[in-house]
Amino acid sequence: MASAGSTGKPLRINGLIKTYATRSGEVLPALGPVSVDVEAGEFLVIVGPSGCGKTTLLHLLAGFLKPTGGQMLVGGESIAGPSVDRSVVFQSYALFPWLSVLDNVQFGLRHRQLSKGQRREIALRFLRLVGLQDFADRGIDELSGGMKQRVAIARAFAVDPSILLMDEPFGALDALTRRFLQRELLRIWEEQRRTVVFITHSVTEALFLADRILVMSSRPGQIKAEWRVTTPRPRDITSGELVDLERQIYLLLDEELAKTFAQEGKSAHE
Amino acid sequence: MGGTRSLLTRATRVLPFFYAAIAIVIVWQIVVTLTHPEPSILPPPAAVAATLGHLLANGELGIDTAYSLGRVISAWLLSALVAVPLGLVMGSSQSVERIINPFVELLRPISPLAWIPLAILWFGIGEPGKVFVVFIGAFFPILLNTIAGARGIDRSLLHAGQVFGCNTRLRLFRCVVVPASMPAIVIGLRVGFGTGWAAIIAAELVAAQNGLGYLIANGMDVLRADEVLVGMIAIGILGFLFDTFFRYLQSRFGYGG
Repeated sequence: MASAGSTGKPLRINGLIKTYATRSGEVLPALGPVSVDVEAGEFLVIVGPSGCGKTTLLHLLAGFLKPTGGQMLVGGESIAGPSVDRSVVFQSYALFPWLSVLDNVQFGLRHRQLSKGQRREIALRFLRLVGLQDFADRGIDELSGGMKQRVAIARAFAVDPSILLMDEPFGALDALTRRFLQRELLRIWEEQRRTVVFITHSVTEALFLADRILVMSSRPGQIKAEWRVTTPRPRDITSGELVDLERQIYLLLDEELAKTFAQEGKSAHE
Repeated sequence: MGGTRSLLTRATRVLPFFYAAIAIVIVWQIVVTLTHPEPSILPPPAAVAATLGHLLANGELGIDTAYSLGRVISAWLLSALVAVPLGLVMGSSQSVERIINPFVELLRPISPLAWIPLAILWFGIGEPGKVFVVFIGAFFPILLNTIAGARGIDRSLLHAGQVFGCNTRLRLFRCVVVPASMPAIVIGLRVGFGTGWAAIIAAELVAAQNGLGYLIANGMDVLRADEVLVGMIAIGILGFLFDTFFRYLQSRFGYGG
């Protein structure tokens, strides 16, 4: 079992393709081909217009979907299905409302060879990490959105994953809570270093968090461009170089969005 | 967490029902005072209260209640035992749903009361026939609510279950599908008990030697409107108490709205 000091595993995506068949037998390309190498311990952020297939990419990595073609390797091993080794933080939190906060964090530990006490101890450690140790016995419905997402982050880290997949995790939160949680996430990530694949449509969020930013094109989603962000953390996103980068990313996204609208207009006229 | 406070709020919640009961009795008394009906048609509240006391004291009401409740509870449990697992499977597997749903939709519109004659033909007037009728009455509300519950589970909850260790279908079923469907199941159990309770009274009206339905039917035969009314009051109060109990369960399992 990996422990403190481990930095997750590298992820290699090679020629990944996902298509859907419509009822009329038409083949709709949703994603790809996508090829990306993510280093162990890297914080990768993928930005793209909505409907570009970035959630499809994340669901493929999580194992919820099977690819039509291509490879996904974690530390050299092919992805076969969902696993705690690639834990997920969902936009809708996806906490189990019939369990307490502590039991939610413990949920992913149940099938391990651990005693009850050990499981509890691990869960409490990660609740402490997100600052919610005093809420261990509360119900999920008693928490605010920001607190729920902190519990979900604790749950995702507690299972000691190689890779953390984050699907627009702060998308449903207000701007201030979002800002706070971005900082919290970086603090936790710096302590519990893992490979992170983070999906968002917020350029600001990408600039604040990422080691590397990938911009995806409109459907079928492909990697349009990538930038390495070397500005040391904590970052001031109003600084010159980040503002400059922001402008470049928006330029590209505007182009993609224009394409999406043009496509939608065309299919509406057909 | 003041015990007195929660007791007080609970008392205030019961109060409107108490007022409604008093209002019914007052209107009843006014009607009797104004129209002087035959006691065998509509006795005054006081006379019915006396009969209630009498039937309670000689144990008749208790025995009839026990019969009715025994039938309803056993049939309702049996119904839940079939409908809940079936509903969970139908709600989580489209192919199973596609096969079984037509049967459900064809049988569902037939009122449980319409089954009473067949139940008598098949099982006679013994217990199995009554259990059968209540079973049918409780079955569809439980089944349909359970299906809706299992089908309505947020996809990301299922995904979360898969990510965090439920790597077999059975495990996912046990750890996510069942608890996530619980609020809907409790609603189904509550509605099913209500329809079962209505069905048993009807079945006892037609064919029984005991039970609250029999008490009413017998009261009619011997022109004892007071006994009929005592039976009706008992049915109303018991139905209300069970519904309240299920509402409490619902609030306990009402997570994840």
